[in-house]
Amino acid sequence: MPILAGQIAFYYLAAASIASAILAVTRRNPVHSMLWVLALFLHVAGIFLLVGAEFLAAVQVIVYAGAILVFYLFFLMLLDLPREEAGPPFGAHWPLCAAAGLAFAALAWYAREPGLLPAREGVAVGGPSPGNISAVGMALFTQFALPFEIASLVLLAAMVGAIVVARRKTES
Amino acid sequence: MVPVGACLGLSAVLFGIGLIGFLGRRNIILMLVSLEIMLNAVNVNLAAFGHYLQDQRGQILALFVIAVAAAEAAVGLGLVIALSRNRPGVSVEDLTQLKW
Repeated sequence: MPILAGQIAFYYLAAASIASAILAVTRRNPVHSMLWVLALFLHVAGIFLLVGAEFLAAVQVIVYAGAILVFYLFFLMLLDLPREEAGPPFGAHWPLCAAAGLAFAALAWYAREPGLLPAREGVAVGGPSPGNISAVGMALFTQFALPFEIASLVLLAAMVGAIVVARRKTES
Repeated sequence: MVPVGACLGLSAVLFGIGLIGFLGRRNIILMLVSLEIMLNAVNVNLAAFGHYLQDQRGQILALFVIAVAAAEAAVGLGLVIALSRNRPGVSVEDLTQLKW
């Protein structure tokens, strides 16, 4: 029964996230788009929970839905866009874009049952299960310590770069 | 519990929707948001493979993707502010200065 419940939950989350992604891309009002993207992020966080990535689900809600999306919403309110509602939401070349997107999705869908090596069962016998936050933290701070530090450097560079780009030019 | 093929199919569909939005929308902020949708699709893929192979390295890669997405949002929106200071509106069809 838990397996069936998990599958039902997965298919609900998948359908809801696809629907909210389509609505987010096609809405004319940018704020409505943002709210549909918020729904998409929360449903994707649910999918992360289902595949045993609890920490990733928490980070998805806190960082993506809580920080990045609110940041985008602030920007939309800073730059008021009265004319965006008047014109068409898509450019003149939208059939070409739709064809490109559908072709890519069809290709990736076609390759979704990969001839992978079979799933390894019971690798982490005795240890914490791989989805656990402690296992993720252990790997992040031992095996991936250098990429972790480089990620902090990337964030610092992005912060300085954003300030430099967006700063008002002062005549000295 | 969750079949990996279904996760990969969901990821493919989400990535295609994000690609359509990125190529087709006229508003530059919504283009950046479509980029976030595509990055989310990639994260679903990574988490599904991590679950399938019973390995937490997929989750760690997804964490790095989230960090890079935050950096991209900061720099991209800084560029949008610098752009909107020089011209009204954020439609990409007005940005033709580099067109030959």
